[in-house]
Amino acid sequence: MLKSCLFVLLVLTLTLGRAALAQESPFFVTYNHHMEEPGNLDLETSTTTGIPRSGQRSYTAPYLELEYGVTAQWTAELYLEGQSSPSDSTVFTGWRFENRYKPLGREHWINPVLYLEYESVNEASRIQKEIEGGGPDLTSRNSLLRSEHARELETKLILSSDYHDWNIAENFIATKNLSESEGFEFGYSFGIARPLATLASGDECRFCRENFVAGIEMYGGLGSTLGFGIHDTAHYVAPVISWAVSDNSTLRFSPGIGLTHESNPVLIRFGYAYEFQGVGSKISRLFGRKP
Amino acid sequence: MRLCVGLVCVASVIAAAQNSGYQQDARWRAPQEAAARQNPLASRPEAAAGGRKLFLKNCAECHGQDGSGMEKKRSADFHLAFVQEQSDGILFWKITNGNASRGMPSFSKLPELQRWQLVLYIRQLKRSE
Repeated sequence: MLKSCLFVLLVLTLTLGRAALAQESPFFVTYNHHMEEPGNLDLETSTTTGIPRSGQRSYTAPYLELEYGVTAQWTAELYLEGQSSPSDSTVFTGWRFENRYKPLGREHWINPVLYLEYESVNEASRIQKEIEGGGPDLTSRNSLLRSEHARELETKLILSSDYHDWNIAENFIATKNLSESEGFEFGYSFGIARPLATLASGDECRFCRENFVAGIEMYGGLGSTLGFGIHDTAHYVAPVISWAVSDNSTLRFSPGIGLTHESNPVLIRFGYAYEFQGVGSKISRLFGRKP
Repeated sequence: MRLCVGLVCVASVIAAAQNSGYQQDARWRAPQEAAARQNPLASRPEAAAGGRKLFLKNCAECHGQDGSGMEKKRSADFHLAFVQEQSDGILFWKITNGNASRGMPSFSKLPELQRWQLVLYIRQLKRSE
């Protein structure tokens, strides 16, 4: 059923949309204030691979992300995620639905964005789109973790600034597990990035510096209301780079370095995004509405 | 004969798609200091070629390949005199901030110089009129 839905969605996007210039942020975890353009659909597939330290399990966690620009100030996203461990099993770990709303229409020194996400995931989830509380359990088997479901409500305050072509973003995270009384869990992420060239050349080129954005991000957990702080929490610092491979697609790469014993020593992330333009108006027309 | 009819049809479709009746949103006004900003690329007209590339990739979906706007999107026709009369600083500010209430997104994600390249290219639309 899920496969058929995904197939229909893929066919719809491929037939309805026109490719647009991908302007992907290079960050994997940190959000900035740049929203998806209204009516555009961003289809992204990414993986998070954890290199284990002694006692931890290695894993690869792929996820599919559908990002849609509802209005110029509101972006919605749906995630489907899984996890595979070579010495264990491959499991579907759940889904997430998130909304980002930019309350101020104009650009300011600091641009706030409000973020609300509903997650229905199990404890085997490893995509680590954010780290809250102490971080994921990296030692237990999938068979145990997949049976522990969590329905969570996650909020973020996103603050982001553009300064001399540098984008600087800070995210403050608070999550409430609706399935169990764990109190509120907290996390953070910060990122800074800049294009390698700020002037566009007149020629079509793929390896021009203008097609690359590089930066660094840092993210981790801050415990919970039961025990706030960085004790027993996972933290990473990760260089990030994105490359606009074509007018409509972007590749991203980030090798994260774990800073604490609760982190993986290395966390490798890959992402490929494809953007479709004008999907919203085409769907409106299908249903006879004026776009 | 068929070719002529075809061309007339195509021309009519294009004309109907244009937005020569575009009216500005009176509330969408740049602050004075932003309006007074000068284009740092004004002495580098060759940079407009990059602006054209950026325009086709970021703006043409709503403003049309030739920048004449689209009625259904309520997007500006850049050939109109009252659009071209606006200062470089105003155009730059509008590209940077967008106008969320009318569906125009902010393009602050483009580096500042690239937004100035777009302004350079929009000026060329006036000259090619």
